[in-house]
Amino acid sequence: MPSILHLCQWIYGTQFSTAIRESPYWFPLIEGVHTLGITAVVGTVAVLDLRLLGFIMKREPVSRIARQVLPWTWFGFAVMFASGLLLSIAEAATNYFNWAFRVKLILLLLVGLNPLIFHLTIYRKVNTWDIANVTPWRARTAAVCSLTLWAGIIICGRLIAYVNM
Amino acid sequence: MFPVSLLHWLAKTSLGVFMRDSTYGFALVEIGHLLALAVFGGAILMVDLRFLGLGFKSQPIYRVAQELLPLTVGGVIAMSVSGVLLFMGGPVRYYHNPAFKLKMILFFIALIFHFALQFGVAKRKAAGRESLWLKLGAVVSIVLWFAIGLAGRAIGYV
Repeated sequence: MPSILHLCQWIYGTQFSTAIRESPYWFPLIEGVHTLGITAVVGTVAVLDLRLLGFIMKREPVSRIARQVLPWTWFGFAVMFASGLLLSIAEAATNYFNWAFRVKLILLLLVGLNPLIFHLTIYRKVNTWDIANVTPWRARTAAVCSLTLWAGIIICGRLIAYVNM
Repeated sequence: MFPVSLLHWLAKTSLGVFMRDSTYGFALVEIGHLLALAVFGGAILMVDLRFLGLGFKSQPIYRVAQELLPLTVGGVIAMSVSGVLLFMGGPVRYYHNPAFKLKMILFFIALIFHFALQFGVAKRKAAGRESLWLKLGAVVSIVLWFAIGLAGRAIGYV
């Protein structure tokens, strides 16, 4: 896909990209914020997933936890997305060839599909299993998929820096 | 103040040598550290937001503090174990790293402060409104953990 490569190289050459890349403060600072944004997303998602699996907060209805947690998941997602975009702009041309970066993008797409499927299927009938200690197998499968995919995203994200060397 | 000879000894242990010389050892433990951070940080955030009255409002404060204890305590243990392993990859180098020093000072303050707060609230029996002191404590906790995260990222750059 040479056109995407050209786009990445053009982005890489812009003043904005170069400024982030070459500043001794901006890149690490944005990276730090990115890490903490991921923490907010994955940490809050994990609370819901672990409830679905019956590990924590068993006395609380699932829908109530979901309602309380999700606004902060989205808040974290906004921080993660904005900072991640800046980092990608700064490293556009090198990241294009980085396999860890490519795998991370694919996993991000999949991790977006997971809650979509979850909410359109089993979660629609949540009132029938809201207070159950053991949730339906499809809900537990969604939780395992979510935890696995997010773990993969964190692993690939950290590997980007190792693969680039 | 800290015996430097102890650091040299740590570096020479087989675990220290492994963490320094292995190609994937450091990367793997670092990933483990970050995975633990995700679960730990998210749980801390939910506890502090509840103390602030900004999340989980349908549940009493003490119950949120209680039910998230396994995640915050388990998380801090996992982070400490992986953190010690990372430290063993270069004890003397880290000891002289200003970002590392700052992180450790902040960490011990946050550790005592946050868990005194969370355990204290978890022991309560009655549901009540968030007091001003509790809100202030939650803000201090969030700011401390946030600074620890940034200082941690800075270790690799200074």
